[in-house]
Amino acid sequence: MKILLPYFKRYKKDVFLTLITIVFSAFATLYQPRLLQQVQNELLADQQQAVIRDTAILIGLGLLSIITGVLNVYYASRITQGVVSDLREDTYAKIQTFSLANVQQFSSESLSVRLINDMQQIMNMIMTIFMQLIRMPLILIGSIIMAIVTIPRYWWAVVVLLALIMGLGVVAVKQITAMFDRFQMYMDKISGRTGEFLQGVRVVKSFNQSPQEIAKLNKDSDELNEVNIKVGYWFSTILPGAQLISYLVISLVVYLIGTSILQHPQDISVITPYVNYVLTMLFAILLVGMAVMQISRGNVSLRRIQEIMDTQPDVVFNEKAPEDALGGSIEFDDVSFTYPDGQQPVLKHISFAVAPGQMVGIVGATGSGKSTLAQLIARLYDPTTGKIKIGGSDLRQVNEKALRKTVSYVLQKAVLFSGTIADNLRQGKKDATSYELERAAQMAQASEFIQRYDETFDHEVEERSANLSGGQKQRLSIARGIIAGSPILILDDSTSALDAESEKLVQETLEKQLPDTTKIMIAEKIVSVMHADKILVLDNGRLVAEGTHEELLKTSPVYQEIYKTQKAKERKEEL
Amino acid sequence: MSDKQKSLTYLTKYLKNYKKPILISVAFYLIVTIAQVIAPSLLGQTVTNLSAFVKGHGSLGVFYQALAWMAGFYAFNSVATYIAWMMMTRFNANANNDMRKGLFGKLQRMTIRYFDTHQDGQILSLFNSDLDNIFNALNNAFFEIISQSLLFVGTIIVMFVINWKLALSVVATTPLILLLSWIIMKKAHVYLDNQQDRVGELNAYINEQLNGENVIITQGLRDQSVAGFKKENAKVREAMFKGQFYSGILNPLVSGFSLLNFAIVIATGAYMIMTKQVSQAAGLGLIVTFTEYSWTYFQPLTQVTSIYSMLQLALTGARRLETVEEQEEENTVPDGKTISGVNDAVRLEDVHFGYTPDKEILHGVSIEVPKGQSVAVVGPTGSGKTTIMNLINRFYDVNSGAVTFDGVDVRDLKLENLRSNVGIVLQDSVLFSGTVADNIRYGKPEASMDEVIAAAKEAQLHDFVMTLPEQYDTPIENGQDNFSTGQKQLLSIARTILVDPAFLILDEATSNVDTVTEEKIQKAMDNVIAGRTSFVIAHRLKTILNSDKIVVLKDGQVIEEGPHADLIKKRGFYYQLYTSQMAFE
Repeated sequence: MKILLPYFKRYKKDVFLTLITIVFSAFATLYQPRLLQQVQNELLADQQQAVIRDTAILIGLGLLSIITGVLNVYYASRITQGVVSDLREDTYAKIQTFSLANVQQFSSESLSVRLINDMQQIMNMIMTIFMQLIRMPLILIGSIIMAIVTIPRYWWAVVVLLALIMGLGVVAVKQITAMFDRFQMYMDKISGRTGEFLQGVRVVKSFNQSPQEIAKLNKDSDELNEVNIKVGYWFSTILPGAQLISYLVISLVVYLIGTSILQHPQDISVITPYVNYVLTMLFAILLVGMAVMQISRGNVSLRRIQEIMDTQPDVVFNEKAPEDALGGSIEFDDVSFTYPDGQQPVLKHISFAVAPGQMVGIVGATGSGKSTLAQLIARLYDPTTGKIKIGGSDLRQVNEKALRKTVSYVLQKAVLFSGTIADNLRQGKKDATSYELERAAQMAQASEFIQRYDETFDHEVEERSANLSGGQKQRLSIARGIIAGSPILILDDSTSALDAESEKLVQETLEKQLPDTTKIMIAEKIVSVMHADKILVLDNGRLVAEGTHEELLKTSPVYQEIYKTQKAKERKEEL
Repeated sequence: MSDKQKSLTYLTKYLKNYKKPILISVAFYLIVTIAQVIAPSLLGQTVTNLSAFVKGHGSLGVFYQALAWMAGFYAFNSVATYIAWMMMTRFNANANNDMRKGLFGKLQRMTIRYFDTHQDGQILSLFNSDLDNIFNALNNAFFEIISQSLLFVGTIIVMFVINWKLALSVVATTPLILLLSWIIMKKAHVYLDNQQDRVGELNAYINEQLNGENVIITQGLRDQSVAGFKKENAKVREAMFKGQFYSGILNPLVSGFSLLNFAIVIATGAYMIMTKQVSQAAGLGLIVTFTEYSWTYFQPLTQVTSIYSMLQLALTGARRLETVEEQEEENTVPDGKTISGVNDAVRLEDVHFGYTPDKEILHGVSIEVPKGQSVAVVGPTGSGKTTIMNLINRFYDVNSGAVTFDGVDVRDLKLENLRSNVGIVLQDSVLFSGTVADNIRYGKPEASMDEVIAAAKEAQLHDFVMTLPEQYDTPIENGQDNFSTGQKQLLSIARTILVDPAFLILDEATSNVDTVTEEKIQKAMDNVIAGRTSFVIAHRLKTILNSDKIVVLKDGQVIEEGPHADLIKKRGFYYQLYTSQMAFE
């Protein structure tokens, strides 16, 4: 709950006004039966003036109850929606300080469940507090006092009653709270499964594995159902249980009054009010109990939000460092790296240096660590040991803005977002002019297909970019990467889905038009990096060779092996 | 169908399997409601007996008897409530479970087109939000509505039997209240609907952003992402505020009106006494009685309005779910023909196709893949290569022309039969949570461990798997960072090898695997391809050099066709591709 306090503070005025409206509407609720009773008595006593006066008061009370009731809803809604949306915003902002590893640890599905479903629970909780919880204790305490005052002799009956109901309540709340944890866990699981299915729908269908998917989900769903039923059983027990307890206590008290009625004949008149007070008490306890339940469910959700808030991002930038772009040089000094949850190092003692404007190729087998190396340059992770410098600055000391301005990283798997093509390209440079869009698209060989759309750059990219081919996605992703003119450009096998001709064109254009940009090309094809100033050869996490194409052909067995698999069948002159 | 009808259709569909428990629990609850009305009179009886005893007209025995009746009645009431609730809990949870399973099952049967045109997050919020809303509403509102409407009708009847004039005064404001409620509910309905839509949009936004988090980070888009979130979030806030407000004010309005109604009843009664319609004594008694009735009459109205927003959200949820249930399903061609393997050829015959009616992508493509041969398709980006795969496997259907297996149109084949004959290695490899072994045997869950290992070996994945902490039992979780893209692809190849399909489609499968591995895969694939009919969509020319036939696709048309050597001689488009891509000595 502590986490919510600062948010409530932001809505101090609304909280204050809500409390006032609650007091007034509680007054209206409590006063009204009394007033009505009064009017009835006056009617029977034929006091016309008093009847007219109290009827007018009754009308006033009705209007007051309408006005304060509506205002209560208004202010309570303002608080609820304000607090929840602020909290959701801060939570999302916090997530955006996470490193990639942090996000993966939570999983994106779980994060979105927290931001939507858990927030919903928190919202219900706040609403309950401001529309019910505050009012109910007043009524509860009032009815307890009145019950005891009515027959002071049997004060212990009220205590027994309260103790029994509370006991039942505590046990039930404990059980139910424990199950809410499990409930959220299964919700996550189902959400995860569904997300996975949506991602892999083509695989599922082409392997005819819908039955398997359904069986897996049904299993989770049944488990969730079990939890739901258990929670429901507890709920179904509480009310009748409490009812039974109250009725038995009432019967007991009435019995005791009966046995001693000759000593206390005036007790006859208190039976009815006593019963009414006990039933009001029961009603208030149940409502408080419901509210407590709602709050405990909200608390589980709050804990899940707290988890996000408490997570320390494992990559932290130096905000005090200047925001200006760094230079284009890259230096690896004895860098080794193991993934946070991995056991084996993926990179082992890598050292090399790249001068600004150089073009460097990185080749090696699958899993040799090429992409990991590139991710370290973009500081998606920090090296486990060793140091990386860009433009002479240690990466751990730079400002994030500076690094993002410096390094542009085009990923192997092109990810585009819904929005227009222009929106996506402008992610590389917010204020890019249409000339800049055009130029970047041209360099990435994307102009041609963009121009074929009627809306050109305003063409919409669909969900999962289903309306674009792999090659088109990669071109757009490259255009987005180069539009800002960053000093360092990393292309992580990002032309793999391009046809040969376009790939060659992209490379030639980049070489020609970005002479000052340091270009890191991770490539599967030797042709792509043959002209590089330097080629790094990785093998099982080690840097085994470094040099130009010609040098490596002579000296590096690993490089020779790769080359052999890519040689044309024919000699050039045979064609 | 109107929105309301849709919601009701949906709820009826899933609740009708529970007719018996619903009827029984409702019967119990009716008893409970009646018992609640009678219980006070039993208490009154007890008090009367006791006061009779005090005045000396009776014995304590009669009082004890009445007390025992009362206690017994109370106990019976509690037990009946307990039984009714237990039953309701069960059928409600089970119905909700059916809905969840039904939704997932429905998703499984829907067309690829639906998934390509709907955001994942929108679909997920059906699970995360809408199903939950229905569950809550049924849990909290189901009995409430039944018992309150019973009370409502009962009160009206009793009132009119006693005195119709005063009864009219009690119900006089009802039309006004109903009109007011109707106006507010209409507004609330719009805003609550709007609220769910906005939440769906926010969910979609979060999903897309977090799934592309690596791009967000590396492009320095975090501030922008937060700004975009704020925009969506503000819309949710606005919509939710309005929804909560309009659905929330109904209750205080109605309960306020119930107070005003007392004044009307009193005034009417007074008027009746003044005009001598009733005697003063009788009139006063009537007024007292009818103020009580006015109270019970309004009780159901205020109760129902307090759960209104819950009900409305549930109806909205039901409508959204019904909309999904109405979606077109894949035609599984249940009484279609079946084939086992390819005996003659797989053909595309003058195929025209576009994802949208206004934009054709393939313009009359004809390709023949004879039995046992390997045909490769190459061509520039956007030429329609991947689309062909979508058509062969019937993810989409041709606009005109046909795709045939041994002369049988794929649309005439049982869908399952078609897909079990076609194996696909997709462009993007997807791993499912489960172990590595589970993933390899994904297409054939009953496969033995030996088969799994054999497939992994053939796909050159075995050595890598052995380096994992728990080898084949290593769990794969979300994120899957143990696997590089290339390794994922090897796994997806192993998966396809294991099911041993008659017809194989490799959709740019080798594009993300490095060349050393590619060479190994090529060998493995050569083995797999041998004796199998296959169709390779690739741009790594080296991998398709030995294909029996290479088809060059450009702008949705076949422009060249033939074996490698022939195409080289032709000095056309293929020649250019080849010379620009391969390394020459």
